Amino acid sequence: EDQFEAEVANKEVLEARKRQLDEWRAWRARIEKEVRWERVDLGLPEDPEEALREAAGEEEDKIVE
Amino acid sequence: MRPILLQGHERSLTQIKYNKDGDLLFSTAKDHVVCAWYSVNGERVGTYNGHIGALWTVDVDPTTTLLVTGSADNTIRLWDVRTGKQLKMWEFPTAVKRVEFSEDGTLLLAVTEQRMGHLGTVVVFPITVDLEAEQVDAPSFTITFRESKATVAAWSYLNKYIITGHEDGRVSQYDGKTGELIKDVQAHELDMQITDIQMAPDRTYFITCSKDKNAKILDVNELKVLKTYVTDTPLNTAALTPKKDFVILGGGQEARDVTTTSQRQGKFEARFYHKIFEDEIGRVKGHFGPLNTIAVHPQGVGYASGGEDGYVRVHHFDKPYFDFAYEVEKMKG
Repeated sequence: EDQFEAEVANKEVLEARKRQLDEWRAWRARIEKEVRWERVDLGLPEDPEEALREAAGEEEDKIVE
Repeated sequence: MRPILLQGHERSLTQIKYNKDGDLLFSTAKDHVVCAWYSVNGERVGTYNGHIGALWTVDVDPTTTLLVTGSADNTIRLWDVRTGKQLKMWEFPTAVKRVEFSEDGTLLLAVTEQRMGHLGTVVVFPITVDLEAEQVDAPSFTITFRESKATVAAWSYLNKYIITGHEDGRVSQYDGKTGELIKDVQAHELDMQITDIQMAPDRTYFITCSKDKNAKILDVNELKVLKTYVTDTPLNTAALTPKKDFVILGGGQEARDVTTTSQRQGKFEARFYHKIFEDEIGRVKGHFGPLNTIAVHPQGVGYASGGEDGYVRVHHFDKPYFDFAYEVEKMKG
């Protein structure tokens, strides 16, 4: 009976974790999409890293000139 | 995971920052000196000299061109990262407790201290990320705190919001363009000071920690508390780890604040929690005093902690760290 209870408890823990993980991943997917749209609306590259690389690249070009 | 010990500061550490590439580490301490280090081997690159008071805070812009520092000498100073030359100094009536560049490096915020006759503020300056540029003298706007002063502040993604953490445990959201208050939540226990705020890499959420012994993750748009990490010690610092879903917390009670020796044991450790499941998963010992500041390498390959003991300890994560995963994480999402 103890073993049965332990198994039930383990299963509950596992299910709770599964739920937390799914919730987190769903929120991440949603917010990442929202941010991409906001960036596009502002006329910015979707990826902020790309924007920084572009800015750095432009500076280097200036030096070459 | 043998740490590298950085010896160069004579007083307690106040803040550590990696640059965007993670090859450099910048540290401030109460000893008036700003240090730059190679993160891979702990060799000191150089120092930035000029402040005449304890240093509270440091940040580096995303292109590793400009360094900014804030001090108890009531100044913010801007430095050329490579030469160590001071480029600009802004003076205030009180100490500067926190500085931070926005994600594009074009804005700088600073938290100034409240003192008799002066309310605490957040000031915002436009920045030209260019060593030759003349930086402006006056802030573009100032947020003044009439109730509880801000202790920490950070920029959200797209510079939409300034998020502030307060002495009374509140977290507030201000418009990043006008400084207007939008939202306010009692995220931490009432009148328990918020001691750190660090944004996630994409600045859509952040972690705060407090003297109330808890750390929390909130989202920048709604200020909704998404996660809570419960510890048994007052916290000074909290960081998020890229690559792995962990958080690292640091704190500890000062020996003089502890009544019994048993309470003191095991408090000066960096604590690792699982970001999503909120469980403690490990601790790293080493410091002889409270941990004041933790920074994580931007690529998630290591972290550095700065202590009240005057040391910086740089850790490079090894394979078991990267292999660690809960069963549910190994399952196909």
